[in-house]
Amino acid sequence: MTTPSPAGPTGAGVPAGGPAAAVLIATDAPPTVPNRKVAGALAPLQLSGEHHLCPGCGHPVAWRLLLEAIAELGLANRAIGVVGHGCYTNIVSLADIDFLQCLHGRAPAVATGVKRVQPDTAVFTLQGDGDLASEGLAEVLHAAARGERITTIMLNNGVFGDTGGQMTAASVVGQRTKTSLDGRQPEAHGYPVPVAELVATLQGSVYVARGAVHNAGSVAKTKRYLKRAFELATSGAGFTFVEVLTMCPTGWFLPTADGPDYIQDTFEQTYPLGALKDV
Amino acid sequence: MLLTGIGGQGVQLAAKTLAMAATAEGHQVLMSSHYGGEMRGGQTEASVVIADEGLRSVPILESVWSAYVMHARYWPAVADRLRPGGVVVANSTVVDELPTGDFRLFPVPAGQLAVEVGAVMSSGFVLLGAYGAITGLVGVEALVSAMRELVPPYRTQHLVVNEAALRAGAGAVTALDAPAPFGAPARSARASVGTAG
Amino acid sequence: MAPQLLQGSDAVAQAAIAAGCRFFAGYPMLPFTDLLESMARRLPEVDGVCMNAESEIEAVNMALGAGAAGARAGTGSCGQGIALMQEAIAEAALNEVPFVVFNMARGQQDYFQATRGGGWGDYRTLCFAPKDVSEAVEHTQLLFHLADQYRAPVMLYGDYLIAHTYMSVDVVPIDFGPLPPKDWALDGSLGGTGKSRQIWTWAMGKAGDPGPGPDLHWQRIAEKFEEMARVETRWESIDCEGAETVVVSFGTAGPFVEQVVGELRADGVRIGAFRPITLWPFPEAALAEACRSADRVLVFEVNAGQMIDDVRLAVAGRVPVSPLGRVSIDFSGMRQGEILTVPWIRDRVHQAIKEVKV
Repeated sequence: MTTPSPAGPTGAGVPAGGPAAAVLIATDAPPTVPNRKVAGALAPLQLSGEHHLCPGCGHPVAWRLLLEAIAELGLANRAIGVVGHGCYTNIVSLADIDFLQCLHGRAPAVATGVKRVQPDTAVFTLQGDGDLASEGLAEVLHAAARGERITTIMLNNGVFGDTGGQMTAASVVGQRTKTSLDGRQPEAHGYPVPVAELVATLQGSVYVARGAVHNAGSVAKTKRYLKRAFELATSGAGFTFVEVLTMCPTGWFLPTADGPDYIQDTFEQTYPLGALKDV
Repeated sequence: MLLTGIGGQGVQLAAKTLAMAATAEGHQVLMSSHYGGEMRGGQTEASVVIADEGLRSVPILESVWSAYVMHARYWPAVADRLRPGGVVVANSTVVDELPTGDFRLFPVPAGQLAVEVGAVMSSGFVLLGAYGAITGLVGVEALVSAMRELVPPYRTQHLVVNEAALRAGAGAVTALDAPAPFGAPARSARASVGTAG
Repeated sequence: MAPQLLQGSDAVAQAAIAAGCRFFAGYPMLPFTDLLESMARRLPEVDGVCMNAESEIEAVNMALGAGAAGARAGTGSCGQGIALMQEAIAEAALNEVPFVVFNMARGQQDYFQATRGGGWGDYRTLCFAPKDVSEAVEHTQLLFHLADQYRAPVMLYGDYLIAHTYMSVDVVPIDFGPLPPKDWALDGSLGGTGKSRQIWTWAMGKAGDPGPGPDLHWQRIAEKFEEMARVETRWESIDCEGAETVVVSFGTAGPFVEQVVGELRADGVRIGAFRPITLWPFPEAALAEACRSADRVLVFEVNAGQMIDDVRLAVAGRVPVSPLGRVSIDFSGMRQGEILTVPWIRDRVHQAIKEVKV
């Protein structure tokens, strides 16, 4: 319950009942701090808003967080992105940083070669769950075990979105896809691979976190995860990994607006959010 | 020349030592090896070609002037390729029946000499020292230097006995009257290397 | 420097480093393994990096990454390991990342794989097949230069006899002349300036500065390979002028054939030897010229007949072309078998000459 504002001429809210009580905002006068622009439609380093991703897709939010993290850490002129194959690949055209688009699943190996000969750069891979958990599981695990000073970002929507919604190694049990129409059944399709948990068990990884983009709180946390991952990898601490759960409006057999709830109610049961490892 | 024996007798190391010593003495050398997957106990063979200049040889030899025989088990493969009148330096300690044929045989009790100088593991170097001295192809000092370079850092405890073995072998034999023949100069051919660029 | 006795693998490693190679990644497989070991020993001495990768697929992709970041990079394997690398070799050809692949092949059964490739797309792989360790030292250095010049992955076709033969060699750095700066290489420095770089097989470019796209980009790549085919062929031709018989061989089989042909020529037989040094581009015109007076062409290769296709294309039906070799591998499966000897080749050449004369 809120109590009516005892606002005075200053316009400032006066806490009722001491410092522990809620701050009340007076709305009967203009705010003391003038309005200002805190973010544009375009993220920093983003060259165009005309991405080709579907309305309701979670990837553009993740892109934005990635670019904001790079810009805010001052890494724009040191960043090299190594990008796999998927809907998210188009970031290679949309962002004003160096990119190497590589073969499906191989980004952590390619990024290893880049980082080893350019040790002062901030090398990251951007991959989907099809690219990383299905095609390239060996590459990411070995890069993590070697403690490569890179950041790997896995956008996980549990589906091959680019090819029209087939099951990946990360599809959750019960998830409907074009190749598991009745939902993923363990007896027929096996179980999902929890990549973040696997990476966290390896000694070479120093930071592993799983975020999501289905609500404002998760978006804010995911950005913090990304910044922490970049800071640790570029400081030479070791391999860092951030998984981001994203919605797929076309690959999921759901109304687009139900995507965020599906992440919360279904994906999070298999893939709990939070930092798994922070050495 | 061909070197033959059983894996573990040091035949490959002897071949490398000879090849490296000859290189250090200014010769051109080609050396190739033939051995099985197992480290010990199998067939082992190496070939070394030494030339003054313009070495032209394939790495798999059709015929040879001399042979170094640590063990007779694989001798027939060597005998087939030995030229008439060739030189055979053989380890008489373990070669029970010394081979006979159209060649000059120099039996050297390499195993026994190795025991005498306290280098029981180094009979291959005794025979190599003897081979060098008999043929006059390489001096014992060059062999010693090459051996020192080839023995890996984790085996340096063997340097002293290996050197004793090489010197014991060299001291136990007398040289041939005529020195070893080096390969004839390269045949002239109308060879042209082309490039379209 | 005075010549040193070096194992072929070590000589190639030293040549690579002399050529500026500072990154190498490989996965052990005989007879390639010794090169990986040499690189692991020698690269750290020059502040380079050698990765003992977890698979051939990782190794070649690491080399691609290092090449994209501007380093002179190498990788290698043989046989089935090269097969695993083909996807990335094709990718590097199409996204124009230079590196050198050292194929220390098991015998001569990698000819198709080396010259036709197994990856996707309209690409070719420049491939040198040295006849011995000395030539391998020279080719290694030239390949790093040509890889950068053409911005393409290239291949050295060695084998057991290159990798494991010891030879007195002097690894002297060779200067092949200047190359354009690698202003395309990724270092991150132009991020945020509007001029950030991109290496992308699809060549789509950036928003506001579109690239040529796959159609134009791949057409241009195909033209580049056509140009390489015009100017990069190399060969050795011995006593082919006026020869009635020409024996064609490649790589380490060359010196064996050369010896047989030399003996026969000394006996008055009108015979010559021809050896393509570049397997791709195959020196078609030079071989056709070498066979101008020939009435038979013999192809000696230690496989079931792979290069013979290129020989037949080169002489275009004008001269009968017969195979001399066959599958022949030693018990270890690593090395050419019993047919790679002077006597075996001599017998077959004698036989072939007699057969036609009867």
